Amino acid sequence: MFAILESFTSPFAILSAIVFLPVLAALTVAFMSRQTQEETRIFSLWITLLVLIAVLGLAIAGGSRPGILSRSWDQGRVQYGFSVPWIERFGIFYFFGIDGINFPLILLAALLGTLAMLASWGIRDQVRAYCALFLLLHGGILGVFLALDLFLFYIFWEVVLLPMYFLIGIWGGPRKEYAAIKFFLFTLAGSVAMLVAILMLYFYSDLRLLNEIVLQSCFIDPGILSHGRGQPIHTFNMLALAELGRLPHSPFNQLLWGVPVHTWVFWLLMFGFLIKLPAVPFHTWLPDAHVEAPTPISMLLAGVLLKMGGYGILRLCYTVCPADAYQFAWVIAAIGLLSIVYGAFAALAQSDFKRLVAYSSVSHMGYVLLGLAAWSIVPGDPGSRQYWTMGMCGAMYQMVAHGITSAGMFFLVGVVYDRVHHRELSKFGGLFNRMPVYGAVSLVIFFAAMGLPGLCGFIGEFLVIMAAWRFHPVAAILAASVIILTAGYILWTLARVLLGPTYRGPHPEQLTDMNPRECWVAIPLAVMAVVLGIYPKLLLGFCQPSISRTVYQLAVWSERLPQLSERNCSPKTSARPPIGQPIPQESQTPSVGEGPKIIGTDHDRANESAAVGPHSWDLPGGRGEKTSSPDTSLRAAENNTLDRSNSTLEN
Amino acid sequence: MNSVVWLLLIAWLLPLASFATILLGGHRFSRLGWVAGLLATGSITASFLCSLAAAATWLWQNPPLMHAQSDHHEPLLNKPHNNLSPHPAAAEIPSAGSMRVLSGVDSFGNREGYFALKESDGRLNIAQRGELPYGTSRMAGGLPSSTLNRLNLQSHDRSAKSPPGAIVGDWYTVAEFGTLRMTLGYYVDSLTILMMLMVTLVATCIHVYSFGYMREELQDVVEDPEARVDNSAQPLQRPGRFARFYQFLSLFCFSMLGLVLANNLFMIFVFWELVGICSFLLIGFYLERPSAVRAATKAFVVNRVGDFGMMVGLAALWGAGGTLAFAESSKDPGLFSRARTVYEQAVTSSAVAQEKPAKVQEPSAPPGPPGLPHRLSYTLLVLGGLGVFCGCVGKSAQFPLHVWLPDAMEGPTPVSALIHAATMVAAGVYLVARFYPVLMPEVLLFVAMVGLTSAVMAATMALVAGEIKRVLAFSTVSQLGFMMFALGIGGWVAGIFHLLTHAFFKALLFLGAGSVIHATGTGEISRLGGLCRKMPWTAVTMLVGCLAIAGAGIPLVVGLSGFHSKDAIFAQASLLALKGSPVGRLFLALAAVAAFLTAFYMFRLWYLTFVGPSRQSHLLAHAHESPAIMIYPLVILSIFAVAVGWKIPGVGWGIPEILEQARPGVGLSGIMWRWWVLPPEAESHLPYVHKVASWVAFAAGVSGFLLATMIYGLRLLDAARLRAACGWICYVLERRYFIDELYERVFVRAALLLAKSAAFADKVLIDGCAHTLARLTHRAALAEEAIDRRVVDAGFNTLGHHLFQLGLLMRRVQTGFLRQYLMLALVGTIIIFVLAHLF
Repeated sequence: MFAILESFTSPFAILSAIVFLPVLAALTVAFMSRQTQEETRIFSLWITLLVLIAVLGLAIAGGSRPGILSRSWDQGRVQYGFSVPWIERFGIFYFFGIDGINFPLILLAALLGTLAMLASWGIRDQVRAYCALFLLLHGGILGVFLALDLFLFYIFWEVVLLPMYFLIGIWGGPRKEYAAIKFFLFTLAGSVAMLVAILMLYFYSDLRLLNEIVLQSCFIDPGILSHGRGQPIHTFNMLALAELGRLPHSPFNQLLWGVPVHTWVFWLLMFGFLIKLPAVPFHTWLPDAHVEAPTPISMLLAGVLLKMGGYGILRLCYTVCPADAYQFAWVIAAIGLLSIVYGAFAALAQSDFKRLVAYSSVSHMGYVLLGLAAWSIVPGDPGSRQYWTMGMCGAMYQMVAHGITSAGMFFLVGVVYDRVHHRELSKFGGLFNRMPVYGAVSLVIFFAAMGLPGLCGFIGEFLVIMAAWRFHPVAAILAASVIILTAGYILWTLARVLLGPTYRGPHPEQLTDMNPRECWVAIPLAVMAVVLGIYPKLLLGFCQPSISRTVYQLAVWSERLPQLSERNCSPKTSARPPIGQPIPQESQTPSVGEGPKIIGTDHDRANESAAVGPHSWDLPGGRGEKTSSPDTSLRAAENNTLDRSNSTLEN
Repeated sequence: MNSVVWLLLIAWLLPLASFATILLGGHRFSRLGWVAGLLATGSITASFLCSLAAAATWLWQNPPLMHAQSDHHEPLLNKPHNNLSPHPAAAEIPSAGSMRVLSGVDSFGNREGYFALKESDGRLNIAQRGELPYGTSRMAGGLPSSTLNRLNLQSHDRSAKSPPGAIVGDWYTVAEFGTLRMTLGYYVDSLTILMMLMVTLVATCIHVYSFGYMREELQDVVEDPEARVDNSAQPLQRPGRFARFYQFLSLFCFSMLGLVLANNLFMIFVFWELVGICSFLLIGFYLERPSAVRAATKAFVVNRVGDFGMMVGLAALWGAGGTLAFAESSKDPGLFSRARTVYEQAVTSSAVAQEKPAKVQEPSAPPGPPGLPHRLSYTLLVLGGLGVFCGCVGKSAQFPLHVWLPDAMEGPTPVSALIHAATMVAAGVYLVARFYPVLMPEVLLFVAMVGLTSAVMAATMALVAGEIKRVLAFSTVSQLGFMMFALGIGGWVAGIFHLLTHAFFKALLFLGAGSVIHATGTGEISRLGGLCRKMPWTAVTMLVGCLAIAGAGIPLVVGLSGFHSKDAIFAQASLLALKGSPVGRLFLALAAVAAFLTAFYMFRLWYLTFVGPSRQSHLLAHAHESPAIMIYPLVILSIFAVAVGWKIPGVGWGIPEILEQARPGVGLSGIMWRWWVLPPEAESHLPYVHKVASWVAFAAGVSGFLLATMIYGLRLLDAARLRAACGWICYVLERRYFIDELYERVFVRAALLLAKSAAFADKVLIDGCAHTLARLTHRAALAEEAIDRRVVDAGFNTLGHHLFQLGLLMRRVQTGFLRQYLMLALVGTIIIFVLAHLF
């Protein structure tokens, strides 16, 4: 009995269900009767709700599973995962897992999926097809975030693309074909680049370079090493690829046409993710797609799909190719800043309500890029890690906050569009008196997007700007200056839509306040905006340990750079060492002072990455004792075997 | 937590509870608006009582020192040679002295329940309640006077009774990254206590007053005469919004009290923005009026310009120091002590490199969290201080960001009184005062200059303003400038004292103006006049307010509240002037001009409104005294406006003495600009300084009053002809020095232009590229198709054709005659044999 229960709550069952329940439901919907529109919608809503409940269950479940109640989040590792051989011949695994980097986004996707389905009642044509495609899209998005096998990741990435194309192209506005094709081609260009990068990674990877402990931590059976017969063992395992990427003799350091493989990979992947994010100058698909897409699809597109870009950068670019992440940090930060400034200016000029919101997305997602790029680790200085951790957490927070505010804003635009069928900002006004509930919710959500303290948008922006100072003061100043523009365009929009003497557009008689169904979509978003603004630990509790761990690993990696170790403790300057050549191990000089010691051999290296103690990466050296709670020491005892390397790291 | 802290916490959260209740009540309160009003008023009254209890507890625990009126002091400046330094040894061992400062010896000792503040050593500079060695040490040794002062004062300070430290702690951690923490907490000292008292008291009065002023909003349908639909003659009708008004007021009170309680810059910034948004919502309360909406947006955006600077300052301090907390708590090293140490080190290193003012040495090992390469340096402190001050400039509507405040008068009058006169706009001054230990002398000079510029400029603009509330708004800018000026020249107590007195009399003036507007329906001075008879209470209370703001009183004896606080500011300015600094003399002169103008425009306002012939008789005919619920707050506020500057009888101390407890340490001289030396405030109490100050202030005030009386009261001079005589000056003043136009033309337009070009670039450049790429691909596809048809297809077709032709040719052979076939077979065989034979 318990065994059955156990098998139902195993990672395999639950994570597969989260992804494939919508997919199966999509198939079911496709074969439902034509007459059952309402039932189809309700069925789809139930499916999304079930997924949401499952994800929420993961968030709050206790015991050995991840959740708020269990402290296993503190480890920051990938947990609650499973890996099953799929196409063994090519090393492709069916590998899902959860850590602090993807879980907030999974939560967001599940939540917005449900709300967007609830917002889909306005779709009246071909409901079956719509629901089927919607559910397929939903499953694909969840799959992208859950997949930890690169091949699987790519498949889901493409699965997301197709339904989106049809959803825009069939149920969209007047220029839907143009928008759909533009969206498809832009994203496809990115995915082609990604595919090349993925194949490069695969063919240059070699699992034999990793030891057993590392392999186990990557959910790989160490027995695989014995099958090699002297040939390299390729892998698609994201975690293993990240471990390989950080090795001193990383296989990705080999040259390909005079440029290291990791640089190729970094830029090819980055290209794909920058398009998805979207970053200026690859952003023009976004306003068109948004303007033409139906409301719920806009919600998902802005709320979740854009985050796939940020997630990819964090999960792949920065972990697999740290050398390039370090060397080109200023390029990425510059693109981020450009997006922030350019998006805000472009938003200021828009006269179409939905286009304005779309451009504000470009501006807000720029903060994500800046936060990720703000590499402020100074070797030998554990304190400097905190700032980058803060920046990355800010980026993560910004992703979720933007998911909530942009979905909310698109929904609010949709509510008035449903009533009066236009989006000209100059033809609104006075809605506050006509639609008081709508007005109140709009205030909360738009203020949250403006970055008002106490609402979710503020935390992400503030963390990123504060962290950016350590990267470069100019970056912080530029990013901070945009708060003026943001206030300008948001308040101006509110003034033109909600305030003023009266409504100036067509169909004034249609302007009724939100109905209960619409309230059920909008009010949860507003509540989430407030809750996340007041209690950020709700989210940081999930993502911070994992991000700290990532930053810690990159810090350990950067200790190995000989050029950096010599420049120990001096303020970071623009003179970045040329990276790209394999780093000769002999030239490594130990760093002075506190901070992790350099670990020479691969074995130690492997130990250390597998054995980072709880929260140890979060603290500057010497302060470790201060926060050690009984809980920490307990876990340290659990990690008994790994304690040795841990202590060398900590002292 | 201490009981004081508990009380303040309750006082802080009560308005939030009221806000939340009204919010959740939603529709129910739209019918029962007065319930919401009662709820909000009750909560703010309870808040006030809690603050009062907290203040009483605080004063019971820490009775203020009796102010030693320094009668026994010799005016040292006149005979500097007589007093040599009591510790000549100190001159010889500067490094030892500064070492003591560095080690942070706590001169106060730990009191139970208090976190002793490391920066307590910083207080030594001015806490010279015993001897007064300023100027004496100038003679001793070859060291710069500032260094010596510090050392000497430090040794004196040991004997003085120490003021109480602040009660510091955290309530809630918002986010935490290793040692980097963002928290909400409390920093309670006498400044906090007094601010809490002032805010809750003024807010209570205004809540009560609003019951009368906003009564129309209780109706289901309100006619708004100033909002029209498409220029139709009908005034716009809208639902009443009594509950919403009180809801926003409650939110504002909560935010403002949070700002006052804050123990770190993060919390300050959070509530800074929140009061800003409350201001936006309340200025735009009459959301049907386009002018109100525009003013609200303008107010918030201009404030955000200041907040941008503040955010940069925050980022600089955070990036370099790793903390935003003011004082150290158990986990954070505070900014105050850090800044103090940096300052001491900069002084020491510049003292070592003395007489070589060419280069300022950055301290070699400034403090900071261990291992942080970016650490606080003097330059960064100056940058951070300037950044934070930027925020204060925006919030306190100082030049050059003063443009939003006059427009903000579009909001309901109680809002103007509470937010745009007494509390929120004073928050900038409050922050400068709170952040004082981190503001380096160079920053303070900047503060003083900005403040004085605003004081004079706004006063001149008030001379010609045509609406009661605009006059008062300019006057607010001017008075806030005064406070900034006082803080900038080292008059910490004077600046805050003026903030507190100003809050009462300015709220009083605004409420009086509201009463006039309520009665007559207009605030245009040109349409008013002769209201004295009809509205005696309003006239008298406003007269009290005018007298208070003009600083009426008997020099050196007693006066209204404004008299005492203005006196204190002038004392500090005179001290600066008497020290011989030419800048100081200029400052004093400009301050006197501003005081003169203040008295003038305030009495101009009063005369034009309340005496003389009525310019529009129907207005006068319909005018009536406001209801009692509006008069009571006026009376209460005017009592405070009169008496708040007095010493409490029996105990012998008043607000300045309470404030004295919280006085932070300040640097005396600049490091970058060595000539900029701030005089210690205690010296401003010297009789000869005080005398000069009192008479200057008195003369300025009286002459302003007399001039106004001559022109507007007795009409000895014709105002219209005066105006005609200096037409272009009036024009410039009426157009507010063209600053609004300048901003509109330059910044707003530039931003919109950039926005347009960004949108254009999007459409043309980026999309153009994408489209070109698409078109090229399409062309390539067409070309490929053409090649397909013309070359490949054509090639195959030709080939096929020829093959076909060949086939046709060959067909001829197929005749069906057996002998011909045999013949061909034979010939073929022979040919093959021949060929085989040949090769």
